[in-house]
Amino acid sequence: MTDTLIHLEKLWKIYPVGPGVAALQGIDLAITQGEYVAIMGPSGSGKSTMLNLLGCLDRPSRGRYWLGGQDVSGMSDDQLSDVRNRRIGFIFQSFNLIPQLTLVANIEVPLFYQGISRRSRHSRSRELAAMVGLGDRLDHRPSELSGGQQQRAAIARALANDPLVLLADEPSGNLDSQTSVEILALFDDLHRRGRTIIIVTHDQGVAAHTHRIVRLRDGQVDSDTLNGGGKAGT
Amino acid sequence: MKAFFNKLWDIIRLGLHDLGAHKVRSGLTVLGILFGVWSVIAMLAINEGGSYEAQRALRRLGSNNIIVSSVKPPAESGASAQSSGILEYGLQNKDVARLRDTIPGVVRCVVVRRTQRYASEAGRSLAVTVIGTEPAYARIAQTDMVGGRFITGADYLRARPVCVLTASLARRLLVYRDPLGATIWLGSEPFAVVGIIRQLPLALSGGASDVENYVVVPMTADLARFGEMNIMVSAGSETYEKVAVSQCILQMADEQAVIDGATVARSLLERQHPKQDYEVTVPLEIIEQIKQQRRLWNFMFLVIASVSLLVGGIGIMNIMLASVTERTREIGIRRALGAKRRDITVQFLIEAIALTTVGGLLGIFVGMLVPWAVERLLKFTTILVASTLVLPFVMAVVVGLVSGLYPALRAARLDPIEALRHE
Repeated sequence: MTDTLIHLEKLWKIYPVGPGVAALQGIDLAITQGEYVAIMGPSGSGKSTMLNLLGCLDRPSRGRYWLGGQDVSGMSDDQLSDVRNRRIGFIFQSFNLIPQLTLVANIEVPLFYQGISRRSRHSRSRELAAMVGLGDRLDHRPSELSGGQQQRAAIARALANDPLVLLADEPSGNLDSQTSVEILALFDDLHRRGRTIIIVTHDQGVAAHTHRIVRLRDGQVDSDTLNGGGKAGT
Repeated sequence: MKAFFNKLWDIIRLGLHDLGAHKVRSGLTVLGILFGVWSVIAMLAINEGGSYEAQRALRRLGSNNIIVSSVKPPAESGASAQSSGILEYGLQNKDVARLRDTIPGVVRCVVVRRTQRYASEAGRSLAVTVIGTEPAYARIAQTDMVGGRFITGADYLRARPVCVLTASLARRLLVYRDPLGATIWLGSEPFAVVGIIRQLPLALSGGASDVENYVVVPMTADLARFGEMNIMVSAGSETYEKVAVSQCILQMADEQAVIDGATVARSLLERQHPKQDYEVTVPLEIIEQIKQQRRLWNFMFLVIASVSLLVGGIGIMNIMLASVTERTREIGIRRALGAKRRDITVQFLIEAIALTTVGGLLGIFVGMLVPWAVERLLKFTTILVASTLVLPFVMAVVVGLVSGLYPALRAARLDPIEALRHE
């Protein structure tokens, strides 16, 4: 296999609650550059934990996680912040734009923490806003935008740092069906341009857009299939 | 490095921006700090000015002087009320000679004999204080001549019957007349008016609040015309007092000589005058006392200031904690997008410091306006020195730092996953 972007090896996450809840129990997973993956599973299956670990928001209790060839499983909080800042693009169900900032300012938040000058941040941010079709909404605040527009802005923000991987958590969960279609079309488009995308969802319709579906159950990989029936990850 | 400063500057802008988003809240917090800083500056400036005024008044007495005065001893101490009925007390000429010769650093020694008499002219009669003294008195008392001249060495040597009047006395005694060249009677003795002075410095007037009805004559003439006895007429009875020297003013070379000299003078007189019929006044010591007092006041003001700034600080901490809670989700978003704990700490700390800095600057501004207004309206002297402005400001900023630190650290310690879930 070429260009393994994400490589999980016997990944465990145990929460120290009572006797210890093992949310993930030895996950092995490899995702290559340019893949379009859905992570599915019923609630309590470990989806969210998986997302947090993939997004470097949390550290595994055991096992290894390589992101872009770098072992991130033992990194410090500051190092993980840097990884999130430079290599990961987050897209949330509830958009998570910062309410008091304008659209441009929201898009450039990741660049802000890279210490990039205001001028280059602004131009990059404008470019991205135009790319997601919000070129005429630059100075609007999130509350002045529709849900679909907010999610577009969030996607633009996730792309600001040119990340290795886009991590989306139920990206259409808060949108009406029409808007969902538009947002998913945007994902499809990004995938065509070579982006690696991982979508955590329980929505079959969303998963249908992807090329590979990883199903979790009780903290373990239940199935890992290519969309269309083939077996993936081998 | 450049990236670091870019980021820092951006975080500062961000902090200010967020404050701007909560104008009322920020404004009220700023107000708390403003009042703290303002009140301290105003108090310090007024206090400083007041003590300056007092010091200036005392300096007019001469901070280089030691003033030794004769004081009537308490009656029950049997103050040599001899059979003759003459009350004799106070400094003798030999005391003066001893003081002058023993104390090191005496530049000038002037002796004053003070008596109460009636001055009359053309049927007008006024009670006055006659100061018999030496020509050098003018220099020690720093009297302003309004007209004519002071008594001279020749006047003194020849015991000439000449006198110098205070301006107000001249006006009352010699109405409508040019006082210079006029002759007035002190008791039954004629004296020619040769000069007019403005008034006597209060401390040299011998404790009397009246600094206006004074006649200065050569001491030699005083003794020659009136003798050593001073007859006091009060409530129908006559008292005879004999006071050789009412006051002896020693002008010293420098302030150190004043301090040492005062000690010597006190121990010397203590031995010679067990009856305590004298008093040593040292303007410099009073000035020092005033300075001491001012330090005490300043300290108290600082304590009050600290309390008010502490209250302001608690206000800031409160606001910042509320802000952290309110913006938990924002903190989570920022952390997810790559903000380090440090970045979050700095962001909130800067907001707190910005609040106090703005409050402090406005406080300085208002604090400068108030002394100015006080000076205009109440005619107080106020003095603003740099430290008066800077100290409360620095205190305010430190308060911001300290009270912002806890909320900022609390914000930074939030778990990003939890924070993102926060509604």
